[in-house]
Amino acid sequence: MMRLANRGLCTGIIVLLLLATVALVVMPGCGEPEKAAVPVRFGILRNDLHQLAYYVAREKGYFTEEGLDVREGGAFNAGPEEMSAFAAGELDMGLVGTSPVVTFASQKMADVKIVAQANTEGSAVLIRAGLEGEDMASFRGRTIAVPGFSTVQDFLLRLALKKAELSDTDVNIIVLKPPETLAAFSSSQIDGAVCWEPYPSMAVNDNKARVMLTSHQIWPDHPCCMLIVASEFLSKNPEVVRKVVAAHVKATDFINKNKLEATDMARMFTGQDKNVCASAMKNVKFDPDPDPVEIQKYVDYLKTAGVVKVTDTGDFVDDLVDSEYLPRK
Amino acid sequence: MWVSSTKWKVISPIAAILLWQLLASAGLLGKTPSPWQAVEGIWFLIDTGLPPGYRLWGHAGASLARVLAGFAAACLVAVPIGVLMGWSKHLDAVLDPLVEAVRPVPPLAWLPFAVLWFGIGLVSSSFIIFLGVFFPVLLNTVSGVKSVDPRLPEAARTLGASEATILGRVLVPGASPSIITGIRIGMGIGWMTLVAAEMTGVKSGYGLGYMILTARDYARYDLVASGIIVIGLLGFAMDTCIRLVEKRLLRWR
Repeated sequence: MMRLANRGLCTGIIVLLLLATVALVVMPGCGEPEKAAVPVRFGILRNDLHQLAYYVAREKGYFTEEGLDVREGGAFNAGPEEMSAFAAGELDMGLVGTSPVVTFASQKMADVKIVAQANTEGSAVLIRAGLEGEDMASFRGRTIAVPGFSTVQDFLLRLALKKAELSDTDVNIIVLKPPETLAAFSSSQIDGAVCWEPYPSMAVNDNKARVMLTSHQIWPDHPCCMLIVASEFLSKNPEVVRKVVAAHVKATDFINKNKLEATDMARMFTGQDKNVCASAMKNVKFDPDPDPVEIQKYVDYLKTAGVVKVTDTGDFVDDLVDSEYLPRK
Repeated sequence: MWVSSTKWKVISPIAAILLWQLLASAGLLGKTPSPWQAVEGIWFLIDTGLPPGYRLWGHAGASLARVLAGFAAACLVAVPIGVLMGWSKHLDAVLDPLVEAVRPVPPLAWLPFAVLWFGIGLVSSSFIIFLGVFFPVLLNTVSGVKSVDPRLPEAARTLGASEATILGRVLVPGASPSIITGIRIGMGIGWMTLVAAEMTGVKSGYGLGYMILTARDYARYDLVASGIIVIGLLGFAMDTCIRLVEKRLLRWR
């Protein structure tokens, strides 16, 4: 008798499972009022104030207003890490520095397009508190940290060294992720560093370092973080990309028009206090329009450094930057 | 067997490389570099260096120094403690829970403390390697000592040997095959933790793990493959050295 009862139970379960399967297969077909939004896997850099527009768009609901389903696809410690995720096809869109974008695109490791800009400027060369020296020449023979080779900060450092008539070998350039950079200043492991905001403001606020040069002084209006999209995602979902760009531009406008509230949001985004955020915000220019002429300078440099193989840097940038999706003015 | 095991030692790596090249040539590997590109990359690392000017010998030397320092320190600490733990039930009872609690922690988890305690130089990366090497050496030593036939120390005792003599002349030699196995496993893990260890940052700008991360920053995945091959070859060479030492030491077997 027990065995029979068990068999009945089993049959019941199987029938239920079959019904559930049928329901799952049939349901989406009948009565679907609107197509579910295409999820956008979005990558950002950890604790990078340049990317505040992403946070503003998310918190202010600009993505939702556009009917978008933007999901955080990863927060990375440096641009090359985020570009590796693009190379692996793990991200659809993201904010990342120009230099890693150019490096990965020119090596054909990641097929991406720049569709908008996040900011220009917003980095600084720091010198450890207590060290003498007013100009780059005082770094001769000393150790300077960058967040990664071939990052915007690495590029800025090499530019500043060149201006001071120092060669790359006159200083010891090492890679340290920005969070470790502050600790390395405290323990006197490094003498200088190039970081994105809010790290320079954090270091100054904690008396760990002082600013030797802002990136504005090194290269005014230099392109920094870009909004990029995987080419495959762009060709499949051009309208989604247009909407993300629209939300990004709206958020950027908000930041520029409401500095006080934006600073407050920067506090939430970076977890830093008001002083740090206020000082950091002054050094970043939020501007959604990418300038291909300035971007080409990165490509030219990487080409002369022998890092990337590009025949015509102008053509390469024309192909990489696609301003088509920016809202018409 | 249709070929001897020595021949297999040559055939299997060559076959693996051929298969890799074949898949790459057929375009089945996508962005993954071919073995030929990796070999070209090794030449680039010797000739130009990465970042340019930082050549392969410097990277290999720095990594060898770190691995050897971490490895030697781990062996020097783990073997005596392991012998004592195997010899004394009391000490084993005291230390075993500690060992078992710390052992499962991945060496990389200690990274923030390593930087805090030792900065970003040789010591912090060697410390991470030390953690990787320490436990396999310790556990193999303990089990090696415990597996010595209990009649042997008893016999020595009846013949009037002191505890120190029993430890040095009976237990340690008896445990040595197991200790050496632990050392070989430890050496492998030492190399495995190297990339993680060099992520603590290297002040000199040299190190194979660091070089691999640099290659990634430059999107030079061919050079990533070259770095992996160099680490593999160095690890293989060092394992061979340990085996040669093992053969000499354990000739009595």
